[in-house]
Amino acid sequence: MKNLSHLIQQAALLCCLVIVLSISANAASPQSILGGYEAEAKIQDQHFQEFSAKRGQLLFQSTNTTGKPETPSCTTCHSKDPSSAGRTRAEKEISPMALSRSPQRYNDLKKVEKWFRRNCKSVLGRVCSPLEKGDFITFMINQ
Amino acid sequence: MVWDLPLRLFHWSMVSVVFVTLITGYLAPEWWLDIHMRAGYALGCLLAFRFVWGFFGTYYSRFNSFPLSIKDSVEYLLSIIRTQPKTFTGHNPLGAWMIVVLLTTLVFLVLTGLVVLGGQENLGPLASAVNFSIGEMFEDIHEILAGILIVLICIHLAGVFIDVRVFRHPVVKAMITGRKPGSADYTEIPGYGVLRGAILISLGIATVLFIGLQSNALPTDSWRAIKLPTVYGSECGDCHDPYHPSLQTKEAWQVIMETLSDHYGEDASLDEQTVAVISEFLQSNDALSFDTEVSHKIGRTESPSYRMTDTDYWKKKHKDIDQTVFKYPSVGSKVNCKGCHMDALTGRFDDAKIKLPKGDKK
Repeated sequence: MKNLSHLIQQAALLCCLVIVLSISANAASPQSILGGYEAEAKIQDQHFQEFSAKRGQLLFQSTNTTGKPETPSCTTCHSKDPSSAGRTRAEKEISPMALSRSPQRYNDLKKVEKWFRRNCKSVLGRVCSPLEKGDFITFMINQ
Repeated sequence: MVWDLPLRLFHWSMVSVVFVTLITGYLAPEWWLDIHMRAGYALGCLLAFRFVWGFFGTYYSRFNSFPLSIKDSVEYLLSIIRTQPKTFTGHNPLGAWMIVVLLTTLVFLVLTGLVVLGGQENLGPLASAVNFSIGEMFEDIHEILAGILIVLICIHLAGVFIDVRVFRHPVVKAMITGRKPGSADYTEIPGYGVLRGAILISLGIATVLFIGLQSNALPTDSWRAIKLPTVYGSECGDCHDPYHPSLQTKEAWQVIMETLSDHYGEDASLDEQTVAVISEFLQSNDALSFDTEVSHKIGRTESPSYRMTDTDYWKKKHKDIDQTVFKYPSVGSKVNCKGCHMDALTGRFDDAKIKLPKGDKK
């Protein structure tokens, strides 16, 4: 019985999340995107406290072997410094990841999700958790 | 006075313009086409003047004063062999024939040049009248004529050399001062009205040709301006500048759009709706819907990798480019056409719109 109420609680939260996400789908702010990830993170881990810019930085700078060999790290394309521009593998310039340098960033959930989906797969060989996404954005909006 | 001033000016202008066309045609890289083209237009105007002057100019400039009869020519040839050439005040028969052949060759060079320009580059007055394959065919003819022109120039120079050195006729000096020693003035001097008329006609032709130049970027049957959808620019353009749809066939675009999750090693997957919009745009404007040089040479060519840089034509055209140029920050890599082809996004790829970036090495 306890399990069932827990399940209902989770389902309700998930519904709320879906509504929040769909409302904020295209015209979101970095804060509302973070709010969405926070709600998701809480579902995954009830002990979730808050996102950490430090963890985000470690993720950004980490070198991995689980993804594609050409892209072991976020910094492969985005450059080591979040406030400087990067280059795609086709050598087109990528605007800096730091929000202070690229104010247009983290405003479009669909776009944010698209790039997490693609790049987590390329660098880590798996999808990123809501916690990782939130940490990453927290790091970038404080840069 | 044998050679009037307009004729002399014509002669030396012709020398310099032909020199420019030969240098730009044979030696200069392709992006000098602009200069070659302008020299060609100038040549056309000069020829038009010469044609008018051949009927309305002063006596020795007129075609009907040329000693072109077979009898004259044979007699003259025999007199040369005896090393006692008959003297002529104007042109001698061989010189006159030389001029006829040279001028005819040049007229055909200008005409075939315009056909090539219209067919291959979609430029000039024939841009909408000539398709790509005709342009390509005429390129061969244009090149053969250019070869003939070089031979003719050599014969012309040899003739002048022999006339000056062997027979001591100061013909070069005559083409500068207009006078030949011991020769009488031409018998009649047409009024300046004729000169004015000739200049006006030349100006008229120049204006027409200028309008031809100005109409360069207008849509033709071969090329049309298309608007790249915003979603194409924002999705594909995030990683590389969006390619013009005429660079691939419908079938190739379909394969590319169906395999985005492994796009040359990169995960470029998109949601279904976006894929559908972009695919529709690419396929309805594919290489077969254009008749431009690039749509034929690269667009219609299938390479197993679907990379434009893997086509033989791409390799051939870029083999002389220094590899470091591709690494300039403003270029980035070989897949960034826009780095040098200023009109890449329009799909025209005009030779004259190529600008190699300079001096900004990494």
